Amino acid sequence: MFASRAARKYSDTKRKRTATNHDNHQDLYLCINIDWLVEPAAMAAPVNIQTPSKTWELSLYELHRSPQEAIMDGTEVAVSPRSLHSELMCPICLDMLKNTMTTKECLHRFCSDCIVTALRSGNKECPTCRKKLVSRRSLRRDSNFDALISKIYPSRDEYEAHQRRVLERLNRMHNNEALSSSIEEGLRQQARYRNHRVKKPTQESDNTTFSGGEDNGDARSHLSHDSAPSHTPHPRGQTPSEAGPSQKRPRVSDDGSGPEADSGSRTPPPRRHKEGPALEIELVFRPHPQLVQGQDYNQTRYVKTTANATVDHLSKYLALRIALEDRGREEGGTAGEDREAGGTGGGEEGSGLSNISEKQYTIYIMTRGGQFSTLNGSLTLELVNEKYWKVRKPLELYYAPTKDQQQAPQPPQQKSPPPQKEG
Amino acid sequence: MASQNMDPTAAAASSNAALKGNESGSSAARGSVSKRLQQELMTLMMSGDKGISAFPESDNLFKWVGTINGAQGTVYEGLRYRLSLDFPAGYPYQAPRVKFVTPCFHPNVDEQGFICLDILKDKWSALYDVRSILLSIQSLLGEPNNESPLNTAAAEMWDNQDAFKAHLHLTFQK
Repeated sequence: MFASRAARKYSDTKRKRTATNHDNHQDLYLCINIDWLVEPAAMAAPVNIQTPSKTWELSLYELHRSPQEAIMDGTEVAVSPRSLHSELMCPICLDMLKNTMTTKECLHRFCSDCIVTALRSGNKECPTCRKKLVSRRSLRRDSNFDALISKIYPSRDEYEAHQRRVLERLNRMHNNEALSSSIEEGLRQQARYRNHRVKKPTQESDNTTFSGGEDNGDARSHLSHDSAPSHTPHPRGQTPSEAGPSQKRPRVSDDGSGPEADSGSRTPPPRRHKEGPALEIELVFRPHPQLVQGQDYNQTRYVKTTANATVDHLSKYLALRIALEDRGREEGGTAGEDREAGGTGGGEEGSGLSNISEKQYTIYIMTRGGQFSTLNGSLTLELVNEKYWKVRKPLELYYAPTKDQQQAPQPPQQKSPPPQKEG
Repeated sequence: MASQNMDPTAAAASSNAALKGNESGSSAARGSVSKRLQQELMTLMMSGDKGISAFPESDNLFKWVGTINGAQGTVYEGLRYRLSLDFPAGYPYQAPRVKFVTPCFHPNVDEQGFICLDILKDKWSALYDVRSILLSIQSLLGEPNNESPLNTAAAEMWDNQDAFKAHLHLTFQK
């Protein structure tokens, strides 16, 4: 017991001595071959004192090298930052060694975390040279090396903290960027959606899309906006029959209740909205309250079209539409059919449709003072919207027969009953 | 990782592993992987190795595209191959998934571009990096392991280097 205490005391002093030795040499480490530092395992057993029972497999270099003299005077040896870095770097994380661990047999250095993870997740061998590493006990903490690093880079913690801050800021900025771009994207989508909603009226009594909407089966709804306003009869107008059978979508027709039809008891049929590249515009189209008498085509029409269609296009569309409806009433009245279906089905002769023109009807808009002002035929609906309307709801327009053509449209002979759907 | 066209079981296993890595390793772990990849990219660009190059495919640092020029004096001389490198979250403790994008007629490369190379499988070490992988594959091109071929036709043809070269250049497509 006594002996053991003495032995412990001896070993303590020995450890202390080695520690002071290290302290003395600390400043020198920078200037010497760093390998020298961590070679004590090999040096502890120089070739000539090898016991015959244990042989060391030393390379030629190791056999012939002689220990380097410690530089004790003020001699400086320059080490390039790059080679210094490669000496102080962990080959796994490629960062500066942290809590250095050295493999006992092959003396390769790694961060503690790196080598532990590597041994856990891979083969039990040295990542550098594949020497077998049986367990963690094949590794040894290399506090000398940590001391050396902190001697060379005394402000390492500070540096790392700085680096972390920079990284965090970068991350945050990246996140902020991502956030702001996603907000932008969201705004864009909302705007697009809002446009849809505005263009989509809450009730559709006579909802029609012309020029490139989804109503492709309905010829009457095609008023191509690229046709010049001066074209007289629209070629499609002469063969409305082609549209008749293909009218697939159930259509809620106005039952003649006049302008108050839009007072909102009906919900629109669900519509699949197809996004067109061109801007679309929706309008509510009513007979001019002063110029059109009670029973004359007193429908409120809901029209959706491209924004670059002109007032003339609209006017011509209206003329065609009314003419077809009139004929539909004439025929549908006797057949007891839905007047719209009748209108599309009964236009084969195309007699009354050939003189359809944009001149037949004049389009008005209500100005702020409650006055009706005539719209120039060459204006595009987009312009009308911007100049006169300015609010985010469907553009409201009024129509009346042009003064000198007052008698051209036939007043409806009879009113048909509320529509019975077919086909 | 879903975009990689590979053996479904292997893909599932590796993506599971990656997923686990993502879950257990926090963003810090992922950050350390990015950090290492950034380091690799930097040294790769500084080193100026002839015959190999690699760069992240897009903003994603975990997917790289590499190129290998056939080494001089081999039948692959003058040919240029593109490869994809897919880094798992467990990199560098797990090997990246490397495959040929350019079709490669070689005893140890299959028709899908998968490479039979021990250092990409059980002999992987955390010390390997993009550079060493590409250099290894480059040297594999000239020195195939014909003992365990993925492409037996190529392995059989290898002994006749003239025929091999003729076939190689005839069938090479970028």
